[in-house]
Amino acid sequence: MAGNKVNMKAVVKASTILEVVIAMVLIVVVFSIAMMIFANVTSSSLSVKKIRAQAILHETLLNAEKTRDTVSKSLNVEDFRIEQDIKPYNQMSQVYDIRLTAYDGNQQKITELEKVILINHE
Amino acid sequence: MLKASAMYIVIIIALVIGLLCSALIVAAFFYRVEYQKKFRYDQLDNNVNSGVNILLAESDTSYLSGGTFSLFNNNQDSVSLKRTFWGMYDVGISVAFSQKDTLYKTFSIACNVDSSKWAALYLVNKENPVAVSGQTTIKGNAYLPNGQITTSYIDNKFYSGDKRLVIGHKYSSERDLPPLSVKRFSNFQSLMHERGKVNTSLLVNDSVRASFTMDTRIVNFGRQPDTLKRRHMSGNIIIYSDTTLVVDSSATLEHVMVFAKTIILKDGFHGSCQFYACDSISVGERCTLDYPSCLAILRLDSNKTAPQARIHLANNCRIGGFIFTYEKSKNERLPIIAFDKQVKVTGQVYSQGILETTDKDTVDGSIFTSVYWYNNTGSRYQNYLINVTIDTKALSPYYLSVDLFPVAGKKKKVLQWLETK
Repeated sequence: MAGNKVNMKAVVKASTILEVVIAMVLIVVVFSIAMMIFANVTSSSLSVKKIRAQAILHETLLNAEKTRDTVSKSLNVEDFRIEQDIKPYNQMSQVYDIRLTAYDGNQQKITELEKVILINHE
Repeated sequence: MLKASAMYIVIIIALVIGLLCSALIVAAFFYRVEYQKKFRYDQLDNNVNSGVNILLAESDTSYLSGGTFSLFNNNQDSVSLKRTFWGMYDVGISVAFSQKDTLYKTFSIACNVDSSKWAALYLVNKENPVAVSGQTTIKGNAYLPNGQITTSYIDNKFYSGDKRLVIGHKYSSERDLPPLSVKRFSNFQSLMHERGKVNTSLLVNDSVRASFTMDTRIVNFGRQPDTLKRRHMSGNIIIYSDTTLVVDSSATLEHVMVFAKTIILKDGFHGSCQFYACDSISVGERCTLDYPSCLAILRLDSNKTAPQARIHLANNCRIGGFIFTYEKSKNERLPIIAFDKQVKVTGQVYSQGILETTDKDTVDGSIFTSVYWYNNTGSRYQNYLINVTIDTKALSPYYLSVDLFPVAGKKKKVLQWLETK
């Protein structure tokens, strides 16, 4: 058995191969579980792409407020396509509902942002 | 020699891997939770700001009783908006909430200045000519009787200012002042009648801070003259007195409104608040009221026999904000706003009656008055501007007025952020 002194003069009991097989099976199981966990954690963590898209949407929103832009349009910023949709909010004259959506190169929606902005045309 | 201890090694390796995995899971969990929290707060911040924009754009009567609704008809975009009358300006309250998280902003709302109506000096046309003498400066447009102004040798003083006399355009003034907006006075009327019973329980604590998201806290001294000292009061608080209220320099008031028959501010008082009196306001020497403060005489009931309304500012006062008098019906004795020496006002002065200045007074902003007096050791000169500086260009470009005044524009802006979370 493992841990017992091997008497070189005596005959070694042939239990080591079984022990090694069990150990190998165990380590394979443990490694596969670890890999599954790692894969899950990696896939479920937030992508850098999404965070970057959100930052770009915030910047676009600030620009739209600053330039008092009330035109719906499509913009290309870095690797993203930003759809800017602006419409009057609840039929109020100075207040607009701006909705920004970011798409990646595969035209897959990454994130979106919506806000009511105040635009005085003076 | 072969040691068959593979099982032990495997168990230890499995334990180490298990530990690493659990650390990874915990780290990922916390990262995810914190990011979701940040994302939620970003969304709430967007919604709060959306609420602020709606309050700034809506008419004065919207959201007076508050209202909760969904901004974009989604699950996580509920906001609660409220607009409250707070003296010279309104206070807006925007609250956004999602699950257990809440963000709110309370802010005062004011108007931009209508540059077409704005004037450094508006002096009513009573057929009295206007003259300048001494070191007098008028920077900005001036509305004068018949649009004229001359220099004069008076009180042993030559005119020694700019040759243009008025550094700006000169216009002819009307026979009456542009009126104050009466819309706000109905709010003042209802506020003055909501004082309730005599109540000074709030003064048990020496420091009181009341949030605008809660109900208004009221202190009512009733007919007992009292002195407010060694108190720090801030926020959504109204102080009433049916007689004289003295405010000591050891008291600090921020955003508070005070209604009394007579108000006396002791020498050296410092605060940022609104004072409304029926009879008189006396501001002691070296008092400082930060923008946006207000000193006003309000006579909303017709009483032609009432004593002369008076606002008096002693030497070296610094006032940021608004000073005005309003009488619903004209009294036989005109209301008076009187400045002692070296008074500095940054904002607007509107006197339905008389404005009296002394030497080295400065108004960085605008003066609207029916009659102008210069006072020098007992001698009074009518419509003579002597040793006074009226400089509208010294006013901050971000200065905001209030809709009470005739120079207020239509665009509403945030005057001051009061509370944010």
